[in-house]
Amino acid sequence: MLASAFDGMDMAAEQPATDARDARWAAWMVAVQAGDNQAYDRLLRDCLPQIRAVVRARVRNAADAEDAVQDTLLTLHALRHTYDPQRPFKPWLNAIAERRAIDRLRRLSKHSRRESALDDAPEQGTPAVGSARLEAAELRAAVAELPESQRTALRLAKLEERPLKEAAQISGLSVGALKVATHRAVAALRAKLGGRDGQR
Amino acid sequence: MDSDELIARLARDAKPVRRLAPPWQGALAWLALAALFMAGVVAVAGLRHDLGARLGLMTEQLNLAFAAATAVLAALGAFHLARPDGDARWAWAPVAPALGWLAGMGAGCLGEIWRGGLAMGTSFECARFILGFGVPLTLSMLWMVRHAALTRPVEVAALAGLAASALAAVGLALVHHLDAAAMVLVWHGGSVVLSVWVARRWGARALAAMGPKLPSV
Repeated sequence: MLASAFDGMDMAAEQPATDARDARWAAWMVAVQAGDNQAYDRLLRDCLPQIRAVVRARVRNAADAEDAVQDTLLTLHALRHTYDPQRPFKPWLNAIAERRAIDRLRRLSKHSRRESALDDAPEQGTPAVGSARLEAAELRAAVAELPESQRTALRLAKLEERPLKEAAQISGLSVGALKVATHRAVAALRAKLGGRDGQR
Repeated sequence: MDSDELIARLARDAKPVRRLAPPWQGALAWLALAALFMAGVVAVAGLRHDLGARLGLMTEQLNLAFAAATAVLAALGAFHLARPDGDARWAWAPVAPALGWLAGMGAGCLGEIWRGGLAMGTSFECARFILGFGVPLTLSMLWMVRHAALTRPVEVAALAGLAASALAAVGLALVHHLDAAAMVLVWHGGSVVLSVWVARRWGARALAAMGPKLPSV
């Protein structure tokens, strides 16, 4: 009883198809459900303009609209068993086309949100900054590999630019030994980094 | 590939298909399955000892009738909406009996307050029953309406969750002794709301896993 009360809601949709085109499509669809290849080809070609009209009312871009049209054709194929010949064909077709058009629009809007998020993202450093960082890392690694005495000599004499005597006092080396250690350290770095420092 | 070529390929693959049964038949089949399931539960758990007395109460009859109507209309709605051209108004079909059911539970609470205070406590057994009964019934309905995956998965899944949990609440009233109206409202009503929310949230994914896939051409 409850079911029949609500079946009344579908009364309009369940009116027999009066439109000749709709009747033709419905008849072809019945044949398609029985496995008729020719009827299927005719049906899809005949209702392609209708699918395009429904999709293009929502999707403006021609290429995106054609993608949605093809999605509609694929969905129609997957759902062809759900068509009820007692009902008109066009609302069934339009509902599928509208669904695929909405899906396409959603996908496009997600895609454009992702793209604008990437555009707005702060720059993670220019290539020049990146290569400078790389070279600095190489230099640090090369310095770390030097013997302790050479590293200390390099830091005191070259980086901190202390006078030789003061550097010698801090390091506990003689002035001569400090000079040799500094010289060897620079030579070792030059050899390891391929003389790039010298070219700059 | 252009659309003409796609049409030619699809037409070549036009194998015969079995037409879907009308929505009322689908709903009836599911309700029969649910009744069988419920009969099994009653056979194991046994009917509540005071069932006769409870069913004699007008309020109890109304509540059960509303819950059952909610389940039946939600099931019918799900089977109608699962078709691409199903009338969208079917989504509203179970709203009126669901509100009646809710009002009945609310009125019970007011009556308890009037008689001298609400009895409140926990009844995880109710939630366990409704969810334990509702989940397999929801899944069985989703299987029956799996073609909705490509058109209206969220609405159909929510209706399936409502139909299954409302029916579970009817089943629960037959086996479980719980008279405190506030507890019925919280534990029965809450479990139904939770079931619908879960079905709405994850049902579309379940449908997508069970449902037809677009052919690769």
